[in-house]
Amino acid sequence: MATRAEFLRRIRTEVGKAAPGFAATTAARPERPAEAAEAVWRQMAERWPEALERFQHEFERVAGVFHRARSVADVPGVILAIARAKSARSVVTWGAASLGLDLAPSLGSAGLDVASIAPGDVGDGVRTRHRGEAASADIGVTGVDIALAETGTMILVSGAGRPRSTSLLPPTHVAVFDRRRLVESLEQVGVLLEALHADPARTMSGAVINFITGPSRTADIELTLTRGVHGPKEVHAVFVEEPLGREGGR
Amino acid sequence: MSEPGLATPFPDRASAALRDRFLQEALGIATTKFIGLRREAFGEFPAGDALRDQARAIKEATLQHLDVHLDRLADNVERLGGRVHWADTAEDAREIVLRLCRDKGVRMAVKSKSMATEEIDLNEALEAAGVTPVETDLGEYIIQLAHERPSHIIAPAIHKTKGQVAELISAAAARPLAADPEVLTAAARVLLREKFLQADMGITGANFAVAETGTVVLVTNEGNGRMVTTLPRIHVAVMGIEKVIPSMTDLMVFLAILARSATGQKLSSYTTLVRGPRQPGELEGPDEFHLVLIDSGRSKQIAGPLREALYCLRCGACLNVCPVYRQIGGHAYGYTYPGPIGILLTAMLKGDHAVKDLAHASSLCGACKDVCPVRIDIPKMLVELREHVDRARIAPASERHVFRLFRRLLQSPAAFALAARAGRIAQRPFVRNGRLRRLPLLFGRWTATRDLPPIAARTFRERWKDLA
Repeated sequence: MATRAEFLRRIRTEVGKAAPGFAATTAARPERPAEAAEAVWRQMAERWPEALERFQHEFERVAGVFHRARSVADVPGVILAIARAKSARSVVTWGAASLGLDLAPSLGSAGLDVASIAPGDVGDGVRTRHRGEAASADIGVTGVDIALAETGTMILVSGAGRPRSTSLLPPTHVAVFDRRRLVESLEQVGVLLEALHADPARTMSGAVINFITGPSRTADIELTLTRGVHGPKEVHAVFVEEPLGREGGR
Repeated sequence: MSEPGLATPFPDRASAALRDRFLQEALGIATTKFIGLRREAFGEFPAGDALRDQARAIKEATLQHLDVHLDRLADNVERLGGRVHWADTAEDAREIVLRLCRDKGVRMAVKSKSMATEEIDLNEALEAAGVTPVETDLGEYIIQLAHERPSHIIAPAIHKTKGQVAELISAAAARPLAADPEVLTAAARVLLREKFLQADMGITGANFAVAETGTVVLVTNEGNGRMVTTLPRIHVAVMGIEKVIPSMTDLMVFLAILARSATGQKLSSYTTLVRGPRQPGELEGPDEFHLVLIDSGRSKQIAGPLREALYCLRCGACLNVCPVYRQIGGHAYGYTYPGPIGILLTAMLKGDHAVKDLAHASSLCGACKDVCPVRIDIPKMLVELREHVDRARIAPASERHVFRLFRRLLQSPAAFALAARAGRIAQRPFVRNGRLRRLPLLFGRWTATRDLPPIAARTFRERWKDLA
């Protein structure tokens, strides 16, 4: 079996032997990713209403269910309505700091079991317990790091207080975000991801970034579209007109 | 349909597929649907053409420094706490995964769809070593239950009826299930959810790997790629070396065209970016992350005739439009990768001998090149491959003799005219309904599965003489 050095040396030799291909360059990356990301958010501070309209259109095209809440205080009501419609009994949510609001009091007093994870919650015991909670929950509630209008996609970065499974294991996923998360294009997402990875120790505590575009789907049996094969069968987006109190500000 | 193995020659495998009524219908419906979805997706996406050019350029630029990008990828994966393994051959790759299973006491591995692991026959190796591999993509799960191989890169079970699927999943669930995709999918969800929660290892492929960030990118619609990278304690990603791309900015270019080419979606339901194992502060995710990089004939093509095939994104678009694939389906090709690109990849991975017949399983119509998201010139490489196979005297002797004769005729106008006149007389007993069929002797093999227009009563050259 080859060592890394041998393996790479062989490839280097082959690269050297190759006739020069056509002049080709990779995509131009932002020179100062943090500043480029700020520029994207500044643009969007003006353009978010169009982006929101496009997001809703595209999100509904991929079978997402779009909701609008006037204020942060209205969000639990929207989630409760979804829970009632689904006859849901249990909810698992990102920690209040990651979500930008604390759902536990209002959902709890409405009779739902609410399980949540705070940034300090780590370790095997918590992991096992939380896996059970997430696997049996009817609804998972998360925030959104980037809401991409052109494709109706919600991008979620995993990390402390923001488990990967919340948007995956329960049959219904509800994601809450405000105007400061909206961007228009994949190109802008590229800039934001470059910035996120420029200094990941500071900007990312987790290992996974998920682009979620509608519910889990398959067409593997006679090309018949079926939803919820592994991930959620339903995905809801709750847009809050008022800013959520999020970690990291902005 | 039973799957003809490699012991059966390609013409017989193809004939068996052509006689399979259900396969014919299923292939027609599926490929036509995918073609329409793709066309619609690019129709409403004016930026698509420029992005395809850019994606092609990124693949080429990456190949020009492939060693540097792989080195950087490995550095970043290791910096994040992952381990990188270097597999020269398919056997090496299998051995790496098996050793991990042995060392870590793995008894069950859940897999998300991966052509790379199909390519190295990983499931058979795991089973032989006492590890249970569970395919979790619904299509792959179905064909695993049926003990078959995928017949399409992105729709592995298109050759199965819902009745057949119902039998398979009913047996797995130990209760009778209706032949209804909704019911069967729900049953598979329950069966596989249990496996996700029990498995020790999650095995994935990689659609891309981003060198600058050490990120493996998985594109799925079902969410099984997320399951296998979230729940088991070990994640192993297996990928060919050509899957590396430099940066996140490059990734966005590919994401914009990949799903549109494959299924006509703007993006697949889930695009999952994974860097390393669970990070400090994070509650969930595997303890260990392993990346297995496979060469297996790829590096030889960096300076070889199949270089462009290393651009391939495995979207399956060229299968859907190929008049040969549309008739015979994936199994008849006999190897992991079917369709026009599959012939080239098979030559890359298994050598020219493996494609002595397959090299001709193309009409060279160019539809594959037209739809390829990175504009791989598949027909050109297929022609070169045919020449190569001929030079290496791999093709059947009778075929080589006929072509040598044909070449002589084409080189001499006098001989050509003479042959046309002689042929016109000789062909008479073999013309049926205006077509030449079932020629004798040397030509027999050729016309057993093909018909030809007969030589005209007056050839073009004869008529031209009158006109001039």
